Amino acid sequence: MEEILLKLYEMTAIGSIVEQPSFLIMYVLAFVLLYLGIKKEYEPLLLIPIAFGVLIANFPGGDMGVLAAVDKMVDGEMYHNVITLSNGEVWADAKGVPYNIYEVGLPQIAHDLGLMNFLYYMLIKTGFLPPIIFMGVGAMTDFAPMIRNLKLAFFGAAAQFGIFAVLLIGSNFFTMQEAASLAIIGGADGPTAIFTTIKLAPHLLGPIAIAAYSYMALVPVIVPLVVKLLCTEKDLKINMKEQDKLYPSSVEIKNMRVLKILFPIVTTTLVAIIVPSAVPLVGMLMFGNLIKEVGTNTSRLYDAASNSIMNAATIFLGLCVGATMTVDAFLNLQTIGIVIGGFFAFGLSIAAGILLVKLYNCFAKKKINPLIGATGLSAVPMASRVANDIALKYDSRNHVLNYCMSSNVSGVIGSAVAAGILISFLG
Amino acid sequence: MEGNFVEALKLMAVGMITVFAVLGLVIAMGNALIRFVNKYVPEDEKPAPKAAASSASAAIAPDVRAAVELAVAKITGNKGKIEKIEKI
Repeated sequence: MEEILLKLYEMTAIGSIVEQPSFLIMYVLAFVLLYLGIKKEYEPLLLIPIAFGVLIANFPGGDMGVLAAVDKMVDGEMYHNVITLSNGEVWADAKGVPYNIYEVGLPQIAHDLGLMNFLYYMLIKTGFLPPIIFMGVGAMTDFAPMIRNLKLAFFGAAAQFGIFAVLLIGSNFFTMQEAASLAIIGGADGPTAIFTTIKLAPHLLGPIAIAAYSYMALVPVIVPLVVKLLCTEKDLKINMKEQDKLYPSSVEIKNMRVLKILFPIVTTTLVAIIVPSAVPLVGMLMFGNLIKEVGTNTSRLYDAASNSIMNAATIFLGLCVGATMTVDAFLNLQTIGIVIGGFFAFGLSIAAGILLVKLYNCFAKKKINPLIGATGLSAVPMASRVANDIALKYDSRNHVLNYCMSSNVSGVIGSAVAAGILISFLG
Repeated sequence: MEGNFVEALKLMAVGMITVFAVLGLVIAMGNALIRFVNKYVPEDEKPAPKAAASSASAAIAPDVRAAVELAVAKITGNKGKIEKIEKI
């Protein structure tokens, strides 16, 4: 009887959890993220799958945690992309030679390492899902506000400063690849952060994705905080429509529909020539947008990109990213560094956008509300909505949403370009 | 680590210049596109069929329209939207 009870005990996860109580921290983290996603509605489409991925990855014996591939010395010889199993043994063939995971077929990965590793190495590690999500984002993005206010798109470039500033600071504490992956959080773009991290520091994917999406969810808190620190009441009362009336644009748009079709084609060509490594992101973003703008002839493609494909990609991305956050991968000093560094990257990006607008206002007749600089980070359209709410608090007639969308959308292109540069130089 | 810092500094300069250059070119290209489209494709053709559609829809009797709307709402679970009703 005692033996049966002992076997039952060993069969459950309880024994392993008692042996290694740090699993409990991961459950608490998963529950907190689930609470934020479900109850507080912070980025629920991504936080809920990520949180559930964290939960299911941390049950000993469940084999749902993603195992990192690292270069490792085994019996005095160096092997590449070696997997260490949850029981501490190296994943090896019958002769004891460690497998290189990139030389093993997907069916064997599924059989030996479980479902989540199969999904991770097929969909995430190959860099497949982030561009697919960008296609969906493109299909849901309207570039009209940017085309109407092209000049404001320049502030989307300033807001990439946080990325490079944190790269500079982070280079003292991390390797260049790790610092770049951490810094890209400042772009406030989840798929871009994931894409860059996969290419440069895949072992940090879990904490970086969590930090990126958490800070994006906290845009309604972080943007007002930075705005309060850097803007005066006079700045925030600058009414963009009144400025437009005082200094009207010299160019009138006669055919927005044709422009919206040409814009993604020409932008992709331009970006592809200058930063080819950004093409997987920018190209797919613009392709998604093109099939939206063409209209009824591609409505089925648009529907697939913005609904079924986007939804499926979001589920798999969220679950796989969550499953990378196993106890060993998450509970370490690097994670704390990522959380702190990510916050600075985010804050500095917002600040740089605001400061460039303020600098511009020192010299220009036509003043710009600094909130338009604050929305230069991606986080579309939440950052613009938050900025609009702030503007309305100071002047109930001052609707800045459309102006903010210009720098906000250009921020998506800017962060993808920044990611391309980091990958080109450090990948 | 000092080498890292210098490399990061260089990357910062190259990165920010490139991001500004790319978005600057996107802005310039956008302005050129606007001028090109204004010159060669001046008419926005979209409003015309809309007006035709609305006038066609307006010709439908209100009770018929209400019946069609109810049917569409029931079949599509309130997700469907009527843009145009035409007699064939």
